[in-house]
Amino acid sequence: MNSLLTISPIGASILVVLLPLLAFIIQAVLGKKSTSGIWSLAAISISTLLSGIFVFAQVWNGTALQVDYSWFTIGEKTFNVGILLNNLTVLMQFIVCIIALPVHIYSKAYMKGDAGIHRYWMYLSLFCFAMLGLTISKNLLLMYIFWELVGFASYLLIGFWYTKESAVQANKKAFLMNRIGDLGFLIGIAILFNTFGTLDIVDILGKDGLLYQGIVDQNSGLMTAAGICFFLGAMAKSAQFPLHLWLPDAMEGPTSVSSLIHAATMVAAGVFLLSSIFPLFNGTVLLIIAIIGTITAVTAAIFALAQYDIKKVLAFSTISQLGYMMVAVGIGAWDAGMFHLATHAFFKCLLFLSAGALIHEMAHLKAHNNGDFDPQDLRNMGGLRQYMPKTFVLMTVASLALAGFPLTSGFLSKDAIVISAFEWAMQKGGVHLLIPILLVLVSILTAFYIGRLIFKAFFGKLRVSNLEAPALHEAPKTMLLPMAFLAVCSLFFVFSFNPFSYANSGILNGLAVQYSFTEIHALHTIIPITLTLTALLSWWLGYNWYVKGTYPLQANSSWMRFAQNQFGMNEWMEKTFVAPTLLLGKASYWFDKYLVDGLVNGASYVIRKISEIITWIDKHIVDGIVNAVAQLAYELGNAFRFVQNGRLQNYLGFTLTAVLIGIIYLILR
Amino acid sequence: MITLTHFLVVSACIFCIGLYTVIAKRNAIMILVGIELMINAAILNLVAFGKYDKLNYSGQIFALFAIVLAAASVAVGLAIILNVYRHYKTINPDNITDLRD
Repeated sequence: MNSLLTISPIGASILVVLLPLLAFIIQAVLGKKSTSGIWSLAAISISTLLSGIFVFAQVWNGTALQVDYSWFTIGEKTFNVGILLNNLTVLMQFIVCIIALPVHIYSKAYMKGDAGIHRYWMYLSLFCFAMLGLTISKNLLLMYIFWELVGFASYLLIGFWYTKESAVQANKKAFLMNRIGDLGFLIGIAILFNTFGTLDIVDILGKDGLLYQGIVDQNSGLMTAAGICFFLGAMAKSAQFPLHLWLPDAMEGPTSVSSLIHAATMVAAGVFLLSSIFPLFNGTVLLIIAIIGTITAVTAAIFALAQYDIKKVLAFSTISQLGYMMVAVGIGAWDAGMFHLATHAFFKCLLFLSAGALIHEMAHLKAHNNGDFDPQDLRNMGGLRQYMPKTFVLMTVASLALAGFPLTSGFLSKDAIVISAFEWAMQKGGVHLLIPILLVLVSILTAFYIGRLIFKAFFGKLRVSNLEAPALHEAPKTMLLPMAFLAVCSLFFVFSFNPFSYANSGILNGLAVQYSFTEIHALHTIIPITLTLTALLSWWLGYNWYVKGTYPLQANSSWMRFAQNQFGMNEWMEKTFVAPTLLLGKASYWFDKYLVDGLVNGASYVIRKISEIITWIDKHIVDGIVNAVAQLAYELGNAFRFVQNGRLQNYLGFTLTAVLIGIIYLILR
Repeated sequence: MITLTHFLVVSACIFCIGLYTVIAKRNAIMILVGIELMINAAILNLVAFGKYDKLNYSGQIFALFAIVLAAASVAVGLAIILNVYRHYKTINPDNITDLRD
């Protein structure tokens, strides 16, 4: 036991990463025979334990550890792969583990009986491997590899039900949009390597790293370009406007996948990336990040208002919250961003798992009654509180956290961001104030749409009428327990012992970022109160509208439909990028088929024709002469062959004729 | 007065009759007869030209030789015809075309 306890954090963290890979390989080898997912479950359990006890507990607030292994050498440059364990990376790794574990347990019940369950466990383990590897990479190239792997695992899981056309379209869309970001990431890496000659995060960005040695002016255009490129990578992964379009579609995957990958961990990778290379960004890039984050937060919150699909509401909510995190990074308070990432991971994961439970039951109801309705549509739900009280309580906790009510974790992290944004804007003054004001607006919208979701799903009466409602019942224990765990983690005491002030929260203290702006004490009281009051107000409004039935708006008004269609952005993208791309593809195809192939085919046609002519000459002229000679000889022979008829008298007659001719010749001469 | 020319004309006539017989007859025996006629036409010529050699009568002697030789050749010819008949059961030369190509 002693030897186990002395396992080094580095070794433990490597194990944490490799165990899911092992599970992935075992599951891949076993294939269809292994449907229980026991390997993935065991791997992630051990990983979580190791990550918690031997990595997080050892490194958190301790000294940062790092280790390098030389990987390969090109010319003079040696590439190192390394592991970096500091507060940021161990926190991220631990969050991924602690989210992945309940999702794995939940999946055991949720995915039970699915025909492709063996693939599910395989992909899930692959994702865990990639995501955990991403968190502790010290080298940007290694991080990029894991980054791609995460995207690939996400692609596989979105298209998990690959027989469904929409799922296939969705995973293609997600993959293509992520490629745009990946390209940005890659260009960023290239710029950094070109400038500094290394891709080691510590060597470049460490305390006395290359960045501070005056190799390059941090405000130069090159560094701005590099920063924007990295942000582009983060934009695609973290679904920032306008590259967010893939995330709502990604909800085609299983709900447990949506909760793990498209709500809690992978989409947060962009924020994590920006946080880990934060010193790289100069003022211009940071301002862009903040602006894009704000736009994302606002638009996604508006879109979320009008969605009817329960998962789409949550997807837009995720995008909106990711926008918050981006703003936090943009204003320099990336620790607040990471804090929000951590709290958001728990309550958004819980929201998805609860939604999954609802969908599960609605699908059961549909199957039980042979009904024909969409089990994900909020308009079909209602009154589920009576049938699934535990799920109701758990989901309400998560919703309160999302809306930022006091005593929840969301209250702390959201306040941290909004207050920091206000302080930052006060410092900068002028138009910058628009950002925090919009954030407050988003916060109100957030409270409203999540309240709408809760009221529509759990209050009133079941809207699919004349069905046997008793088919509905509470989700099984294997689903409820992970949800309960996440619900506990959505409360304030996990992050800070003071429920009303984020200042003492462990994460913020651990990351300890020096803000560029001064603290304004008054804001620390005004903003939380404002946010809470407005949230309460919007819940009260939602309650009146959706439960009491005094809905004042036209449900089919053009504005609602406009918001539901995401302002037509999908169509716009379709028209602006997809259609021209297809056109270009078709043009290239045409060019290839008619010009390139045509040239080749034309040349071959000409050569064939020439050879045909030569064949004709050979056959009719060269052979013809030879044959004609032979034919002549033959014909000549044939003409005189009747002479040889075997009759002696004829022979004599011919002889006589010849002699006579001779005689006549002699006479006439 | 019978001149040499008369002999030659008669000889030529006999020769022609023999030639015709050889060419036209459908019986090997008759062909043999035709050959005999042609030989005899030649012998007649020998005898007729023998007029110019009254010392040795070489023409007539040659004629005697020729008659003997003709008899011998006819004997041989008949033997061949006999064998042909045995082999082909016919002596019509039209039916014996083994020399055909």
